[in-house]
Amino acid sequence: MYKTRHAWGFLSIPLLLLFVFTFIPAIAAFILSFTNYNVFQPIEWLGLDNYMRAFQDEKFINAMFNTVKYWLMVTPALVVVPIFVAVLVNQKLRGIKIFRLIFYFPVLVSVVVTALLWKWMFAQEGIINYFLSLIGFEGVGWLINSTTVLPALAFVTVWQGFGYYMLFYLASLQGVPDALYESAELDGAGFWKKHLHITIPMIKPMIFFVAVISTMSAFKEFTLMLTMTKGGPLDASTTAVLLVFEEAFQRLDMGYASAISFILFIIILIITLINQKLLDKNPN
Amino acid sequence: MTQASTITRTGQTKKTFNYRKFVRKSVSYFFLLLITCITIVPFLWTLSSSLKGEQDVIFSIPPQFIPSNITLDNFKTVWTTLPIPRYLLNSVFLTSFGIVLPLVLCSFAAYPLARMKFKGRNLIFMLIIATMMIPNEITMIPVYLVINKVGLMGSYAGVIITAAVTPLGIFLMRQGFMEIPREVEESAVIDGANVWQIFWKLMFPMVKPMLGVLAILSFIGAWNNFLWPLLILDDPNKYPITLGLYQLQGTFTANTRLIAAGAIIALLPIILVFVFLQRYFIEAAYSSSVKG
Repeated sequence: MYKTRHAWGFLSIPLLLLFVFTFIPAIAAFILSFTNYNVFQPIEWLGLDNYMRAFQDEKFINAMFNTVKYWLMVTPALVVVPIFVAVLVNQKLRGIKIFRLIFYFPVLVSVVVTALLWKWMFAQEGIINYFLSLIGFEGVGWLINSTTVLPALAFVTVWQGFGYYMLFYLASLQGVPDALYESAELDGAGFWKKHLHITIPMIKPMIFFVAVISTMSAFKEFTLMLTMTKGGPLDASTTAVLLVFEEAFQRLDMGYASAISFILFIIILIITLINQKLLDKNPN
Repeated sequence: MTQASTITRTGQTKKTFNYRKFVRKSVSYFFLLLITCITIVPFLWTLSSSLKGEQDVIFSIPPQFIPSNITLDNFKTVWTTLPIPRYLLNSVFLTSFGIVLPLVLCSFAAYPLARMKFKGRNLIFMLIIATMMIPNEITMIPVYLVINKVGLMGSYAGVIITAAVTPLGIFLMRQGFMEIPREVEESAVIDGANVWQIFWKLMFPMVKPMLGVLAILSFIGAWNNFLWPLLILDDPNKYPITLGLYQLQGTFTANTRLIAAGAIIALLPIILVFVFLQRYFIEAAYSSSVKG
């Protein structure tokens, strides 16, 4: 009853848009990375120069270091903390659904609002320093200090993201048969033993999955830095994609920016493939 | 403590007071409340600042959590002197298109991929799946250049069109269409319906649950969209609330009270929608995980 022309009739507009705004741009970005282009002057072929330049560019190396540091802070926290929270909200307790909703809510908040909220929290005379003063620590200007700015941003990322990964772990936990816990209890296993020997092995695939997606999003993060610190102080919180953004849209160095984004893409790809390998080795 | 916080799944009911169960519950609630505090303190602090008058300090150690005199003046000022209502309207406008266009266009693409047999179907589906792997951060620059070239710079169309069709949306809608039994179409053909009628009158309404999921994902994306309005829009009269707030905090850095009121106003719609449609939000979150 359906004819080929019907299929193409439906597909034409969405496919055209997908080609123009996703597929062709991906190829164009690759080509652009070998050129010099600033919108106003004609495009100029540079070969591998942009890539060579990147590896000698202190700004790029600094941004890569910042990205890796940020990733090393964010991903372990986002893999571990939500497991704990998911175990907590997987209990049958009164009001537990409300807790789940509250923990999930920050996921929905725009980065602009998140940035505002936490700029105030991290202010010299803000709430964070107040709580620290209660336990006897002296506060610092978190976002204006080059050693504390990345940990502060990582904290905000975990605050905003833990509810998202909590949901994934929750779905995974609900697939663990109750009988496993019951028999462990009969054997006299306590809280930690039970979760270490049953929960963790059972949700291992989800742990890898969360590691992969939180890694990818950590490597791509830049709007939080753009809105909270603009990469400062002194580029201490400039991540790789923030550098791409600055090179492309502030300095109009489109070719160089594309080269950086491709280097990053390849790094993400390698990490994903390694994770995939690890996942295949641990079929569960 | 370790013993006590065990999740008991045996469901045994004991008539006597269960000491271990009591401790387990108390410890659980302690942690639940602690995490709740960490989650909502930034919101509460912002709300408190937005309700403070000039006589109350914003930043101090120890902080003043409760305003001495709760006032709505900041909201009035923000609403009347700053273009906040304008920004909100712009956001509503952009978000409406940001929801409706993906629903329609992704369904258009998904329908033949799910229900029709034609040459090249698998190839096209593979291409769409492949584009899912491409991070937006890679395509950002060329998309900007394309929008510039086709003359959409500064226009709403430029902002809307970047997210009108998403590979994830097509993927989700295809799942939705595949679940419909064959007989539905066959009986419609016997009744003499044409292809468009089958799609629009019969099949489209049948994928409502998946449309709901996609609508919520699009709503979150469109309401919070910040990057594309920042790159494309140049006229402040066209700014959505996210970009408007971003610009205001740059110009009114000193007046935390007003910006806090603005932030609360920006949060309200998303809180309202979340409270009313919470179940679907959770479902949408699960569905979107296929992208990972």
